Amino acid sequence: MSTRENSFASVPVCEILQTSKRGRLPYILAFCCATFAVSVVVSPVFAQSDAEFAKANQDYAQNNFKEAISGYETLVRSGQWSANIFYNLGNAYFRAGDFGRAILNYERALALEPHHPEATANLQIARDEARALEMQQSWPERYLQFASINQYVITAAVAFWLGLFCVVGLIFARRRSATIIALLTFSLLLFVIAILAIYELDHGSKGRALAIVTGRNVQARLATADTANSVLALPPGSEVKILSTRGDWVYAALPNNLCGWIPAKSAEQVQL
Amino acid sequence: MHRSPIPIAVLFGALIAFAGNERAFANSPSVTAVLSNSEAVVGEMVELQIKVSGSRDARPPEDIAVNGLEIHATGTSHQFEMRNFTTTSSVTYSYRILPLQTGRFTIPSQTIQVGGKSLRTPELTLNVADSPGSSSASRPTQAAQPGNAGKLVFAELIVPKKTAFVGEVVPVQIRLGFDPRAYPRLSDGPEITGQGFTAQKLQQSGENEETVDGRVYHVVTFKTAIAAARAGKFEIGPVKAKAQVMVSRSRRSPRARSPFDLFNMDDPFSDPFFANPFSQFGERREVEIKSDPVALEVKPLPPSAPPGFSGAIGNFTMTTDAKPKSVQVGDPITVTSTISGRGNFDRVGAPVIEDERGWHNYPPSSKFAKDDEVGISGTKTFETVLSPNETKQSLPVMEFAYFDPVKEQYATLRSDPIAINVEGGAVAAASPVAAPQESPRTSVATPAKPHDILYQLTERPKAAQSFTPLYARPTFWSAQLIPLLALLGLIGWKIRQARIDNREAQRIAALQYEAAELMRKLHRGDALPREYYAEASRVVRVKAALASGSRQIDPNTVDVDTAAETFRLNSDSRERLRRLFEQCDEWQYSGTHNGSEKISPEIRRDVLEFIETLRA
Repeated sequence: MSTRENSFASVPVCEILQTSKRGRLPYILAFCCATFAVSVVVSPVFAQSDAEFAKANQDYAQNNFKEAISGYETLVRSGQWSANIFYNLGNAYFRAGDFGRAILNYERALALEPHHPEATANLQIARDEARALEMQQSWPERYLQFASINQYVITAAVAFWLGLFCVVGLIFARRRSATIIALLTFSLLLFVIAILAIYELDHGSKGRALAIVTGRNVQARLATADTANSVLALPPGSEVKILSTRGDWVYAALPNNLCGWIPAKSAEQVQL
Repeated sequence: MHRSPIPIAVLFGALIAFAGNERAFANSPSVTAVLSNSEAVVGEMVELQIKVSGSRDARPPEDIAVNGLEIHATGTSHQFEMRNFTTTSSVTYSYRILPLQTGRFTIPSQTIQVGGKSLRTPELTLNVADSPGSSSASRPTQAAQPGNAGKLVFAELIVPKKTAFVGEVVPVQIRLGFDPRAYPRLSDGPEITGQGFTAQKLQQSGENEETVDGRVYHVVTFKTAIAAARAGKFEIGPVKAKAQVMVSRSRRSPRARSPFDLFNMDDPFSDPFFANPFSQFGERREVEIKSDPVALEVKPLPPSAPPGFSGAIGNFTMTTDAKPKSVQVGDPITVTSTISGRGNFDRVGAPVIEDERGWHNYPPSSKFAKDDEVGISGTKTFETVLSPNETKQSLPVMEFAYFDPVKEQYATLRSDPIAINVEGGAVAAASPVAAPQESPRTSVATPAKPHDILYQLTERPKAAQSFTPLYARPTFWSAQLIPLLALLGLIGWKIRQARIDNREAQRIAALQYEAAELMRKLHRGDALPREYYAEASRVVRVKAALASGSRQIDPNTVDVDTAAETFRLNSDSRERLRRLFEQCDEWQYSGTHNGSEKISPEIRRDVLEFIETLRA
């Protein structure tokens, strides 16, 4: 025992530290290099997009709506998506009189941030102006939309792991605890509800297949031909749910609970 | 290559189910009734057809009584059609109508019993003119036939009207008659020639045998409709067609005598049949069939057409329905307008809204279901989406204007008011919304203040956002490693704990077993003092180890102090324990008590009682 104490005492403290850090040094260096590289590459990109965003805002303020649209669209094409960019782009389209694309971009802003108050307000105004038709939501969809899909995903994940921990606790416990059983039941119920909510919201009328009519004088037709009988006239900004695509036509569920074919170029999907 | 039959079976089942579904849909019974012509002259036959679709066990009326008309049932025909997995079956009951006097006759709605249901035909109107000899049907005419093909074929063009209006649809019937003995085969046509009118595609409507001038003809009937493009006098036709018929050959020479028929015995084998066996059947020739033209005077439509007149000419009725009838302001209401009757449906436009104030209407959609071969009779359905801008109690009146060629005047159909319930406040409209008619003094158009959109936002998050749901992102699944590792750690820790608990349990069980064995030996009383005290001290050590609990004392290391502390002994008991351990050591190591001495029962009882009192 004393021998071991002597051996420790004979080594300087700084040398012990150096010895312990010697193994981690390559990792620390790699982390520093990666951080530096990311900062070098990303910072100018953000700075540049910030400048473009400010320029587009300035164009909008000066009533140069076409230039503002061009600036915002450049940001969107570069993948710098945010609810505020889509919201501002929607405003620019609204001022330019293109209500269909204004509604499309408000919807995109709300898809990124479901509780974006400005986008919600302007979307309603644009819909009133365009007389756009809305998809009718099913009752589960109406009740479940108080939270977003991502919130339900997090809830499902937490409930899943909580349930698993409860199961492990029950397996290894000497006696069954009523608290753990109750917690397990609750987490399983929560998990099932969250999964159903995710499915309903993702596949519902406002899910990932939601598209907005951006063309003018769009008619949903019974067949993939311009001469086919019309099912419904769709004002710009109307919502449709794309069911399938055939060539230049898409088969879509319509706001009046019917289905019809519309030209693919006359509608754009909300979720990019 | 082996292929699973399951997908094929599934596909087949789906097809059957689909077809069954379509058939079930197609089988919902319906009934229509059409006249071959809505205008006739006295003595001219008109055909009435009642068509029952979706059922084969209908009971049609046996007699239809209308004063001035003689109506007789003439036959029944069945149709079965399958198109794109959609099967339709229908039965057509034909009646022949002979007008006996002039006037406007209404054939009343007839009740048809179809499988327990009562369906009603629409009312039909027949106008009979007072010109018995002026039917413009051209007389059957002989085709220009070569050689002896005369009277083998004929063509007939029947135009029931002599006058019509520009755009009015006039039904036209073409009858081609063929002598069946000529083995006729239609090779071209028929075709209506002429200018100044448009004709629809010819539809073959039936075939029958007729006797004309004592000769039986196979008559093929075609139907179409024409519409004049401008006013004036026109010649419709002639109808032209080409057919191939068989005409008999003329014998060119008397039968040649056979060289073997030396005595003119009329050898049967000298017959020319053996030289050309088909020459007796004649030869096939192409003949042109041509009818006489028919004159038609086309009059222009009278001026002062009502607003909303889209060029519809005929006789129509209109019904209107709306769904839903209870909505919020701004919600869509689908108004279904159904226009039925007889006329040029290609010019029948959607009914217009009489008063659009407070409403926003969208372009309508339309579909047409024809009741006859050429589409003169039928039903055109329009669906118009209306959106109320303010609270309303009823739908606006829908108007449909058309020209009635019989009355020779314009007519306007108006929908009945449909009560609806519109709730909620007024919606901001892009166009000014006038006040209702009830308060004309205050009906100054008040432009609704247009809502303005909110301001631009100048902030944006540092990181870009994504439309991809969280569950589809790799980072989400990577993050699940954290609870997974925690769970695995918990499981590992629990397993280790269980193993440790298991070892402790085994040790305790072994000690308890040893203590029980030793106590049994001590109770027997046949042991020598050396063994007895050794076993007694061992029992004390084992019991002390058992009583130590979590401290897990090794029984071999238990001394007097440890045991006394474990059992929390008082000084007296501690002294007795010390004496017991000393006795054990004395018997074990001193060697002074060797021999076969036995322990007295009193001492043994005393030791046993002491040991049994030792508890933690």
